[in-house]
Amino acid sequence: MDNADLGNAPILSGTLDLLILKTLSAGSFHGYGIALHIKRLSREALKIEEGSLYPALQRMQVKGWIASESKKSPTGREARYYRLTSAGRKQLGQEEADFKRSIAATVRVLKLSDT
Amino acid sequence: MTPREVALRLVAWLRRDRLSRQLTEELQAHAEFLTRDLEHEGMSAVDARTAARRQIGNTTVLKEYSRDAWGFPALDRLLQDVRYAIRGLVHAPGFTATIVVTLGLGIGANAAMFAVIDRLMFRPFPHMRDPGSVNLVYVETNVTRRYAYSTIPYTRYLDLMRPARSFSHHAAVSEWRLAVGTGDATIVRKVAGVSASFFDFFDIRPTMGRFFVEVEDQTPMGSLVAVLSHDSWRVSFGARDVVGEQLRIGSLDYTIIGVAPPGFVGIVQGRPPEIFVPITTIPANIDQFNRNTYFTIYNWDWMEVIVRRKPGVSVAAASADLTEAYKQSRRVQRETNPRVLPDSVAHPRGIAASLRGDGPNPGPESRVLLWVSGVAIIVLLIACANVTNLMLARVLRRRREIAVRLALGVSRARLFGQFVMEAVILSVIGIAAGLAFAQWGGQAIRSLLLPEGSTFNLGTDWRTIGVASALALAAALLTTIGPAILAARSDLTTSLKSGARAGTYRRSPLRSALLVAQGALSVMLLVGAGLFVRSLNRVLNIPLGYDASRVVEVISDFRGMTLDSATRVATMRHLLTTAKSLPAIEGAARVNTRLFATNIATLRVPGIDSVEQLGRFNTQVTSPEYFDVMQTRIIRGRAFDDRDGPGAPSVTVVSNAMARALWPDRDAIGQCIEVSWNPAANIPTVPCTMVIGIAEDAAYQTLTDEQRFMYYLNVDQMGLGFASRILVRLSARPTASEMERVRRAMQEAMPGDGFVVIRPLQEVVDDQSRSWRLGATLFAAFGGLAVVVAAVGLYGVIGYTIAQRMHELGMRIALGARSGHILRLVLKQGVLFASAGAAIGLAIAFIASRWIEPLLYKQSPRDPAVYATVGALMILVGIAASAMPAWRAVRADPNRALRAD
Repeated sequence: MDNADLGNAPILSGTLDLLILKTLSAGSFHGYGIALHIKRLSREALKIEEGSLYPALQRMQVKGWIASESKKSPTGREARYYRLTSAGRKQLGQEEADFKRSIAATVRVLKLSDT
Repeated sequence: MTPREVALRLVAWLRRDRLSRQLTEELQAHAEFLTRDLEHEGMSAVDARTAARRQIGNTTVLKEYSRDAWGFPALDRLLQDVRYAIRGLVHAPGFTATIVVTLGLGIGANAAMFAVIDRLMFRPFPHMRDPGSVNLVYVETNVTRRYAYSTIPYTRYLDLMRPARSFSHHAAVSEWRLAVGTGDATIVRKVAGVSASFFDFFDIRPTMGRFFVEVEDQTPMGSLVAVLSHDSWRVSFGARDVVGEQLRIGSLDYTIIGVAPPGFVGIVQGRPPEIFVPITTIPANIDQFNRNTYFTIYNWDWMEVIVRRKPGVSVAAASADLTEAYKQSRRVQRETNPRVLPDSVAHPRGIAASLRGDGPNPGPESRVLLWVSGVAIIVLLIACANVTNLMLARVLRRRREIAVRLALGVSRARLFGQFVMEAVILSVIGIAAGLAFAQWGGQAIRSLLLPEGSTFNLGTDWRTIGVASALALAAALLTTIGPAILAARSDLTTSLKSGARAGTYRRSPLRSALLVAQGALSVMLLVGAGLFVRSLNRVLNIPLGYDASRVVEVISDFRGMTLDSATRVATMRHLLTTAKSLPAIEGAARVNTRLFATNIATLRVPGIDSVEQLGRFNTQVTSPEYFDVMQTRIIRGRAFDDRDGPGAPSVTVVSNAMARALWPDRDAIGQCIEVSWNPAANIPTVPCTMVIGIAEDAAYQTLTDEQRFMYYLNVDQMGLGFASRILVRLSARPTASEMERVRRAMQEAMPGDGFVVIRPLQEVVDDQSRSWRLGATLFAAFGGLAVVVAAVGLYGVIGYTIAQRMHELGMRIALGARSGHILRLVLKQGVLFASAGAAIGLAIAFIASRWIEPLLYKQSPRDPAVYATVGALMILVGIAASAMPAWRAVRADPNRALRAD
């Protein structure tokens, strides 16, 4: 499973926030880094469009889930780094649990309907 | 949105420029990172940059989306719309000004009328608790021609309230103008006699001291305590601690026990009362005669009753309760006075009616008021038609602009919203303009309609502001919806393809209909105005039979002085002599009753069975100078003179109408009438009073009465108690300083604390023509307003179509059309609209005018002269409104037309 090619998968509606929050729980990233991180972890299956990523970051900032500051990247380029706030950590827990419950339930329905 | 998010959004909104820069930098960084990574994957530098740019896509759209998080996007769009609308309005000052003025006039007319009508008929009295459950008590019988009276005897009040179960509170109220203070500081003030329970109708606490209570308000005579109104305490007593001070009110000395809170006026219209005293002290104060009997007699109507219905009791149930109580009361009354008619004849009824207005009697004034409010609304409708037309024209003119904006991606909903926003802004300015017009232009309406001393400040009148705002918003929406839909629906491609000129000139049936409707409505109002003005003219030209214009009336108040008859006679003689010795007067006379407050005595005429059946015979007791002072002509015979002293045979002068009614085939002079002032007196013992003269008919009962049966008796032959008023005829119309001179001289002649009040008699006469004056003034004012608004509308539309047709007209001129032809072309348009409007308006007026017939005096509602004048006027307005555009059309430049294509 770990090495399997997952192909291209659409990002389920409502999960973009979850993906970003989860990514930031691992450390602070700039926007490009976030996209890259998700792409890598999903084995290229999930491609975050820039056109959705940046509006989502702005939205999550005003919700107080994430905060940002300007820092030097390892390459020396000045970039804006995002990190999770405590409210964001709470939100992540919530969304993660919701998502798992929802997926489990959906999968159950799919299985039962198949038989 | 959580409060935290609102705060964060607000911070983001304040820093939005910085955030925008940050985002730009961020995207720049993103692009660089991406390019670098792509290069690492083996792309050439140029290809990598292109690929990165392609992947990131439209950064403007991206920023737009991000920006939604900063601040409040809906609010932002709203503000943007507001700015856009204001810019649009500022760029079209003529259009904006026309709409604001038109809308302002329409709203102003309504605001002014509402403010007045609300004050007269609807507004609850200040501080009253639950005004919806409070009523004024009326009683009526068939005998009084089904006219309901709210003024009743104190005895009746006790009778009505004793059995009635519908009420939780009741109180008696009676208003008087009494001399207050002593010596030079004496002033006539409005004094309200009220029950102690009266204060319980209100949510009030005294500013100082206390109100009086039940034990201080007992029959036969309450305690001499007084409560000052807040205003009079401030103005006349310098807001000092007055509790415990003595104050002479009328003929008695009261102790001030408290001051009412600001704004408290009781239930009084117009000038608020300045002092409140227990109502049971009023009889002793003003009427020595009834002071110990006022609560057992039924022949003194002097006070009103307010009641609060118990919860759940309907007005109808309360009225039924009052009716029963009234019948019971009449039964008691019948025991002492057998002439009280039985219920089967009189059909007595008690009514719980509203505190304001005419109660159950729809008086001519409130009917005129309702008519005029209708008229004000019509003015607003005309204004709305006008605004709609201007808006439509504007949409048509901006068609290309709208098409371009649609093409650039503005949503139709947004476009529609922007038009509505424009309307809302216009209506806000319209409200301000309307209130300003109403405040400054409504002076005439106010002085006509509101009782003297009413306050009127629209800036703080929230009820009126609320109504004006609601009307303005409704008007704005009504006038914009159509044009806004037209704009939002406009067809993109054709508008874009067409030139600035092509297809813009088209007759719009909606716009033509609006113009015709405007004209028709104005014509209706003008017909109304014409009818009312002619009717007023007839009223003003009624021969009165006297000339009141230079006469002032002096009313003497002896403030409870008990004068023996000889002293009283001597005092009145002295006053008359004083009046006669004043400089610059033509004469003075004593009379008993004022004009239009007539007296009747029991009258019998030998040879006629029942004089009452012929009509009402009014009487006036006068001194011999009366006919000169009032300039009532003696047609035949003579007026009173020295021959008719106290010892001489009693004589009378009768009106011409009375002479003809009583002695149609004989000479009235030398005939005999028998007059008695005591209703129970045995007529045959009354001596004969001989007719010595016939006077011209005089309007004494009402201005318009047909039967002017009037007889005059000589005060010198009548004994005491009569004729305490003095009429003084000045050699010129009375000015304020003249009046003051007369008052001062007469005041000096009064004994003791006596007091005189003085007023021009013409005021009394003018009061009588009030409802006609009202109708004429208001209809004329609003009719004029309507025509102006309609003319502006017509001018606007014709001007607009001419502007659109300039090219065509230039072409015509180039092809040899003459000025006269072009002129006719344009004028024809105006006249056509005007005459269509006039025809429809006249037809509607012709049908509807019979409803105002009862409000007119001897004026046919279908007076052809009025209709013809109005029709002609309207066509003139049509010509006037199209004259300017016509002149512009004639000067259309053929060169421009030829060069254009």
